[in-house]
Amino acid sequence: MAKAFKYGLKGITGFLEPAERELLRSLIDDVISMLQPAEHTSQDPLAALIGLDMDVQEPTDRAVKRLLPNVMKNDDGASLEFRQLTERSLRETKIGALRAAALDLDRDEVVLTAEGARFWSMALNDVRLVLAERLDIRDEEDAEHVHLMQDWSQAEDVESYLALVYNFTTWLQESLVQAMLQSLDARA
Amino acid sequence: MTLSVALGPDTQEGTRTGTEASTDSLTAPDIPWNLVIWNDPVNLMSYVSYVFQSYFGYSESKANKLMMEVHKKGRSIVAHGSKEQVERHAVAMHGFGLWATVEKASGGNSGNSKNSGKSGGSGQGKGKRG
Repeated sequence: MAKAFKYGLKGITGFLEPAERELLRSLIDDVISMLQPAEHTSQDPLAALIGLDMDVQEPTDRAVKRLLPNVMKNDDGASLEFRQLTERSLRETKIGALRAAALDLDRDEVVLTAEGARFWSMALNDVRLVLAERLDIRDEEDAEHVHLMQDWSQAEDVESYLALVYNFTTWLQESLVQAMLQSLDARA
Repeated sequence: MTLSVALGPDTQEGTRTGTEASTDSLTAPDIPWNLVIWNDPVNLMSYVSYVFQSYFGYSESKANKLMMEVHKKGRSIVAHGSKEQVERHAVAMHGFGLWATVEKASGGNSGNSKNSGKSGGSGQGKGKRG
């Protein structure tokens, strides 16, 4: 069983069983594959170098759209323009955090620096956002309904399995963020 | 940040409509923008508060207050600035996984209490003139 993250002399530490690390690794890999930008053969190399992507479109997959939301509420045109300038680098930021977290999964004990903890919290958050879309969590009521699913022996179908996985990642992120808040207090 | 439009004299009187168009276009880049964070059922309250504290450098109490406003009212304006500044913040928030948008402060469609009275006044003044 995983142990909650805690803040102490070594920094932020946690413990995960091999099966839990394997699960997290595959979740992280899934999100990374969703975030890999499509390669355009027509891409101008200079534009690519500075992060521009004039071919980018608003994502059609809801989960990807939640990871890469529009920057303006009621202006799709301006949001798309902004996306062309920023989406590629946002994808890279997210993939960077996810990869950093995956690298820390090589050992049972997870020991995190402040920066490592930030990457982990971002990675877990993105994993949860994607799971929540798959579970169709649209409001607080849906979230509470999913939260009731705590018993692994009840996992009979894909949805209940996903709900348990979601609850595990929620618990893990909450314990991590509590440790990060403590470390902020300690530095203040 | 300069608030040349927002801090103008009372717009109720002495406004010369003839100069309005040119004034607006000259000062448009200075119109303050808001960074809005929207509620969603996934992001942890602790995480949202952590992001406000660590990214914006807000105190714990300010971060928690803004976080609760997002949670209870559905949205909160958590920062103001030039368009470029709030856009940069929005990208950072998206990096953290928060649902952030930018909007013109004078757009004033929310009645959000964090909006400063000054920029709100600007929006009203322009409306009356128009």
